[in-house]
Amino acid sequence: VPASNCLTSPNLVILFTECLKPQGKMVENSSLPLPERAIYGFALFLSSQFGFILYLMWAFIPESWLNYLVTGYVLLFGINMSTSPLNSIHTITDSYAQNQQQKKYQEEAIPALRDIPISEVNQMFFLATKELQLRAKLKN
Amino acid sequence: MEEERSFSDICGGRLALQRRYYSPSCREFCLSCPRLSLRSLTAVTCTVWLAAYGLFTLCENSMILSAAIFITLLGLLGYLHFVKIDQETLLIIDSLGIQMTSSYASGKESTTFIEMGKVKDVVINEAIYMQKVIYYLCILLKDPVEPHGISQVVPVFQSSKPRLDCLIEVYRSCQEILAHQKTTSTSP
Repeated sequence: VPASNCLTSPNLVILFTECLKPQGKMVENSSLPLPERAIYGFALFLSSQFGFILYLMWAFIPESWLNYLVTGYVLLFGINMSTSPLNSIHTITDSYAQNQQQKKYQEEAIPALRDIPISEVNQMFFLATKELQLRAKLKN
Repeated sequence: MEEERSFSDICGGRLALQRRYYSPSCREFCLSCPRLSLRSLTAVTCTVWLAAYGLFTLCENSMILSAAIFITLLGLLGYLHFVKIDQETLLIIDSLGIQMTSSYASGKESTTFIEMGKVKDVVINEAIYMQKVIYYLCILLKDPVEPHGISQVVPVFQSSKPRLDCLIEVYRSCQEILAHQKTTSTSP
């Protein structure tokens, strides 16, 4: 069964690309295996398999269970919408980060793992790059 | 000294940032959102009136059409007065505080002031908003109980939602003023 799928999908892809080419333009008319065609073929293969699985599920699962799946999907969508609001303190820190202990800094050792406060992170990301860019410009 | 630059918001719409440097210790950032477009207004009006006409053909009650006109007018006025923000301003004055002003399309202005003693820092934070992860500028307020704690997070530029390049500009200017304020406050 996999062999027959591999035989049909490249042919479909070739037909598809042949139809899409503009008329009167003698660009590659050959049916050489190209990387883009391989990707198109794989995408088509995946989507056709997915469609087939969906069709089998629709055919065999009882009606009531399908309704439950639909409501479950809607609930999942609603739960995804209920992430922390932008003004909540949970976007910055939490109880574990506030109660972490400061380990003593040892020379020549990898620093201990800790939650870096957001002010430090911001300074490293957004303030330091300007100095680096200025230094690079002065060197050049 | 006044400077105006054009940025974009998280949805790709155009924003105009106006920076005013009144003095080394006082700066103002003014973000202007695009105005209510005629296209979206006509689209909403047409959909509401078509839906009302559809209901009218079902119910044969002419009150529905006048109700639809009424609802459209009231909805537009309410939207302009309560929802549509045209301009958001952030005024930061060293040693005094930070003031945020939102001007609505109907002319209403709402202002919030935070005194500098309560401000811990101004940072760019990332959070999940709807189906995206966005950067937004927020003011962290000090916790009176704990010296290094944060009591509250106040997001800024909530309705214009600029992208990171605009936020970095505002962040750097604010950090200059806050650093200046820290050095002057620690020195007796």
